[in-house]
Amino acid sequence: MTNVLGRMADIFALAGGIILLVIVAVTTTNVGAFILDRVADGFGADIPGLPGYEDFVRLAISAAGLMFFPYCQANRGHVAVDLFIAKASYRFRRLMDRLWLAATAAIAAFLAWWMVAGLLEKQSDNAVTGVLGWAEWPFYIPGIAALILWALVALSQMSGGSANV
Amino acid sequence: MFSPELIGIIGLAVLFALLMLRMPVGIAMIAVGIGGTWVLSEAVSYVRFVPYLRQFKSLLWENIANYDLSVVPLFVLMGYVAAEARLSSDLFKGLEALMSRLRGGVAMAAVAACGGFGAVCGSSLATAATMGKVALPELKSLGYSDRLAAGALAAGGTLGILIPPSVALVIYAVIVEGSILQMFQAAVIPGLLAVLVFIGVIAIQVRINPSLAPEPRPMPADQRRVALRRLLPVIGIFGAIILGLGFGLFTPTPAASIGVFAIVTYGFILRAFTGEGLNIAGLVRAIRATAITSGMIYLILFGAEVLKGFFTRTGLPAGLSEWAATSGFDPMIVLILMLIAFIILGCFMESLAMILVVVPFFWPTLIALNGGEFVTAETAAFGMDNDSLKIWFGILALIVVELGLITPPVGLNVFIIASLAKDTPMSTVFRGVLPFLGAEVIRVGLIIMLPSLTLIVPRLING
Repeated sequence: MTNVLGRMADIFALAGGIILLVIVAVTTTNVGAFILDRVADGFGADIPGLPGYEDFVRLAISAAGLMFFPYCQANRGHVAVDLFIAKASYRFRRLMDRLWLAATAAIAAFLAWWMVAGLLEKQSDNAVTGVLGWAEWPFYIPGIAALILWALVALSQMSGGSANV
Repeated sequence: MFSPELIGIIGLAVLFALLMLRMPVGIAMIAVGIGGTWVLSEAVSYVRFVPYLRQFKSLLWENIANYDLSVVPLFVLMGYVAAEARLSSDLFKGLEALMSRLRGGVAMAAVAACGGFGAVCGSSLATAATMGKVALPELKSLGYSDRLAAGALAAGGTLGILIPPSVALVIYAVIVEGSILQMFQAAVIPGLLAVLVFIGVIAIQVRINPSLAPEPRPMPADQRRVALRRLLPVIGIFGAIILGLGFGLFTPTPAASIGVFAIVTYGFILRAFTGEGLNIAGLVRAIRATAITSGMIYLILFGAEVLKGFFTRTGLPAGLSEWAATSGFDPMIVLILMLIAFIILGCFMESLAMILVVVPFFWPTLIALNGGEFVTAETAAFGMDNDSLKIWFGILALIVVELGLITPPVGLNVFIIASLAKDTPMSTVFRGVLPFLGAEVIRVGLIIMLPSLTLIVPRLING
């Protein structure tokens, strides 16, 4: 795997992590507002929670979740069952590894292709979230970029070393 | 031409063949799901392949943009942040201070700490790895036998899957369309029972063979004071998460978010005042580890969704449940056979993938055996309605899935502990987990015979 792809996968993972931390901050604020509202009720006051909180979490997690895929691939994090071919010859294991990397890249590219079609459809339908009314299509963009990067990382691993064979 | 059901069975066989050839689990599920649907579309007129493909425009995105499942990466992050903030170490040290007067007390503290850490870490493997790193060197330096130390930690690590909040419980609840909170509540007594049983196993072992553990050496008073002082915030944070969830004060996503917030804040404060705790580099490490674990889980979840679409179109799960309902088998025997199937599959399948692939087959069969969709507790074959069956079976399934983590030949927890204890051979770790495995079989038997152990907490809380 080239350094550039590895670094990009790392940046995507960290960006996904920052989105998770934003979800943590927003959720904690929302829960804090809910608790304060209960207290303020006694004094006849009203402290509103964050409207459309669940919409926000859905959209944010859609970006973060997919942005973890390339880093997971770069670190060979997608689980596989080692037991049965552990004693097979090196050549066979290497062949299998390359085959599955090619399959991974093909599936990632397939999903990216259809997600682009999905983005265009959401855009033309003007699909928006229930409460916030935010357009959904922009939230496809980080996912599509992550899927393309995932495919590239898997392809680059085909020509890489034998660390995972 | 092949019947749809036969295509489903062939699809299942191809899936297992691909897994045995080391294809990544999530990729194998997607490949079989799409490939199988193409074969099916060639065989039957009611499945059309091109319209089927169009669902991929939004299937992946909708699968991940799911509020209920947003809790998964947050729980994963909570576990890694807690480990980076050294909460795992504080927990173990505090419990060691309380239990070091007993023979085998430090090993008991390690098991109890696994249970406690399992509460903030949804994964058994991460629990075994984290507590193994913390407790194994201590146990060895005190003179505990390799067998007892490694066995207790490998077995203790399995507590992570059941002690709520647990990622596996969330995923099971989502598959069977049950309540995540009720699953958490139901897991409390079986989880605590496991901690007590494991501690009992250690006590019995050191009583029978005192050479397994050194003479008890109570911790010096000053160290004990520090350890207990550091234990309090850990109990406060972990307790707030568990009790908040248990009593329905929080739903899972807010509980996980508040858990991450509390642990990060405490970790940074600890760092500022003592030089230990969490720093930015630790937080970044936790995020990277979360990316790997969450990416793996999300891919398997999506793979399971694609695979489920294929199997549903073949009619295989429905056919299986119809056959079970009319076969005249004793429902309890079928349940036990299902649990045995989980253990066998657990020998070579990743636990999450196993839940996702197998439960959609087993669950409709269990409903059919129980008396159908609308059965009441009075007339049900298992003596409980389907909502209670959902909870009881889920807890049983997760316990036997976790047994796969310490059962030869794979036993992932055993691999982790053996790799941490570099001079302890794998066979010694397997010998060490055997008494715990025996205790687990007894625990499963108890939960089968006494469903109220599982159902009482959700019934008390929810009425």
